[in-house]
Amino acid sequence: MSPVRRRTLLGSALAVPVLTACAAADDALTFFFQARPEEARVRLRIIEEFQKRHPDIRIRTIMSGPDPQQQLLTYCAGGKCPDVIMAWELLYAGLAERGVLLDLRTLLDREPEYAETLRRDSYPALYDTFTYAGGQYALPEQWSGVFLYYNRDLFTEAGLTPPTRWGDAWSFDEFLDVAGTLTRSGRTRQWGFADAWVPYYSAACFGMNNGAEWFTPSVAPNRANLGDPRFAEGFQFYADLAVRHRVAPKVADRLSISAPDLFRGGRAAMVLGGHWLYSEFAGQDDLSIDVTVLPVGPHGGAGAITAVGSTGLSIAASSPRVEQAWEFVKFATGPVGQAIIAASGLFVPVLKSAMSSPGFAAAHHDIRNRDVFTEGPDNSRPLPITPAWGKVSALLERGSTRVLRGAATATSLNGQFAADLDALLRDP
Amino acid sequence: MARKRERAGWVFVAPNVVAVGVFLLFPLGFSLYLSFYSWDLFRPMRFVGVENYRRLVGADPLFLIALRNSAVFTVLTLVPTVVIGLGIAAALNRKLAGIGIFRTVAFLPLVASTVAMAVVWRFIFTDDGVLDIGLAWVGVGPVPWLTDPELALVSLSVVTVWKSVPFATVILLAAMQGVPEPLYEAAKIDGAGALRRFSAITLPLIRGPLSFVFVITIINSVQAFDQVYALTGSNGGPETGTYLLGIMLFQHAFGFYEVGYASALAWVIFAILLVLTMVQLWFARREAVDL
Repeated sequence: MSPVRRRTLLGSALAVPVLTACAAADDALTFFFQARPEEARVRLRIIEEFQKRHPDIRIRTIMSGPDPQQQLLTYCAGGKCPDVIMAWELLYAGLAERGVLLDLRTLLDREPEYAETLRRDSYPALYDTFTYAGGQYALPEQWSGVFLYYNRDLFTEAGLTPPTRWGDAWSFDEFLDVAGTLTRSGRTRQWGFADAWVPYYSAACFGMNNGAEWFTPSVAPNRANLGDPRFAEGFQFYADLAVRHRVAPKVADRLSISAPDLFRGGRAAMVLGGHWLYSEFAGQDDLSIDVTVLPVGPHGGAGAITAVGSTGLSIAASSPRVEQAWEFVKFATGPVGQAIIAASGLFVPVLKSAMSSPGFAAAHHDIRNRDVFTEGPDNSRPLPITPAWGKVSALLERGSTRVLRGAATATSLNGQFAADLDALLRDP
Repeated sequence: MARKRERAGWVFVAPNVVAVGVFLLFPLGFSLYLSFYSWDLFRPMRFVGVENYRRLVGADPLFLIALRNSAVFTVLTLVPTVVIGLGIAAALNRKLAGIGIFRTVAFLPLVASTVAMAVVWRFIFTDDGVLDIGLAWVGVGPVPWLTDPELALVSLSVVTVWKSVPFATVILLAAMQGVPEPLYEAAKIDGAGALRRFSAITLPLIRGPLSFVFVITIINSVQAFDQVYALTGSNGGPETGTYLLGIMLFQHAFGFYEVGYASALAWVIFAILLVLTMVQLWFARREAVDL
């Protein structure tokens, strides 16, 4: 055999497994998501269940780094968009506007019966949050909202009983009293309240709980209501918790220790966050937790409200495997997938049927105020859905920092700042 | 034979030439092309002429803030880097006991990852960090190192100086070791003290490397990104305290999907650096001292 032929043969022999691997990998449905390790394990369980029912569809997971939006942008702009994409309510509109995401109505319309059942079993606030410019760009997969976790032992010691349902919320004054009672100065400081979410989102939730929408309308908004005195009052109340009343850590206090760590260590009696924190707090012997709702301001409604805070599943418009992707999305957001999610204890399901399932109750058996979860989606209000969210949030963060560190009042966000924001919304 | 050798030479340098073409010249040219277009990576590109440049210079208030912050940051970084770098290089140039340990400690920041060290400095700058604990002993503080917009830029400069000094030191030390010993001996015989020898012999003879350190430090300061991102976030906060040109570029390209606008900004940064470097080289050449 000539040397050339030998080399060709050797090369071909080596190439076979490589090509097979490529072909196999290329054949799989790609699923892009962001998750902490515990959440990733649950997602893999959902994938396993799916593959038992659809052995012909293989799924390759792509875990996101710390900045999923940027990673996704790189993938999709480079022509390697994952087939199934985790969608965040605040971010998906930018991708939908640019034609990256498939309008799922094209698929739902083919199965009107399924679409109708899904719609009936869904919470409107969650389902509609992924409706943009006449299209349905994702189906909700989990609700996280935001609410308050509290340390049951610290509350019992102080003789305090928090509200158990969204309709029985504290007033701002009552909340401040409670937070003050639970704050202790000294060598090891204990805070009444700490925030594990994005501070200006949380501040906006306090504004919304004082009777004003954050943005109007919530989808493709053209106006931010920063100048509404009710919104400003709620926003200021949140800022004052740290700056004026010192019942919450200031921004500087939180540089070295996170709010979940403060709460886990018994150094914060209440922490604001979503269900994503549940697995970090539950099941620890030295931490007895429960959940309660946000307080309501003097101009707020009859009960407390929260932000939708939902993630969903989308399909890439460029996907060559739309049919398989659709089967997976239907499974994960449909009754079977949602029942698995509910029983996992890691997510709050988005279907009414799964919410009332015994699996969900069993997964949260330590929580006495489970109504905070089950009533959560009905008490959720949408956050702004705009393709310009990147710019809007950068501007909001810049302006609100001044208020949150006590260098200005919330009313200062009105005027030029609000005008700049409105101009950006109208001409992104 | 000569032709064969020439061909062999070309074969040797070909990979590098290709790499320079693909990874340097093409992106450079393409970014210039993009700077005249409006493009969000997905929808078709739209030719806008010099509109991106006009918007940058005339209509974007944040550009002026980024420019001002970058200028202040460059000064806050450049002066201490050169002064401390000179001091440490002069100290390392002496033959003393334990100089090996001192050299190791002085060069440690050079091997640290910028992001890792920014994260460590984040802890140092907190209320209960070592810096504030030290200041509390002398009755000062706590200082809002990262939460006050004005101070955040100073804190950022401290970290950058800490990171830049070893590189400056390496260059300056190498230059100092090239200064002929007899010059110092002659000066000593003439009665010149250590400071006088440093200012009259060392400094004039290391002007070239010193100029190089100036140029490199300015370029690094104007391009600063990773340490800012890790220390104060992707938005250049608090407020616009650390909003530098590098952050603005990243934000527009990867946060706002404005690739054309970001490219225009990149070329403006390039132009600023080119002018600064040429001015610096002109000064260095004019004052050069021949041995």
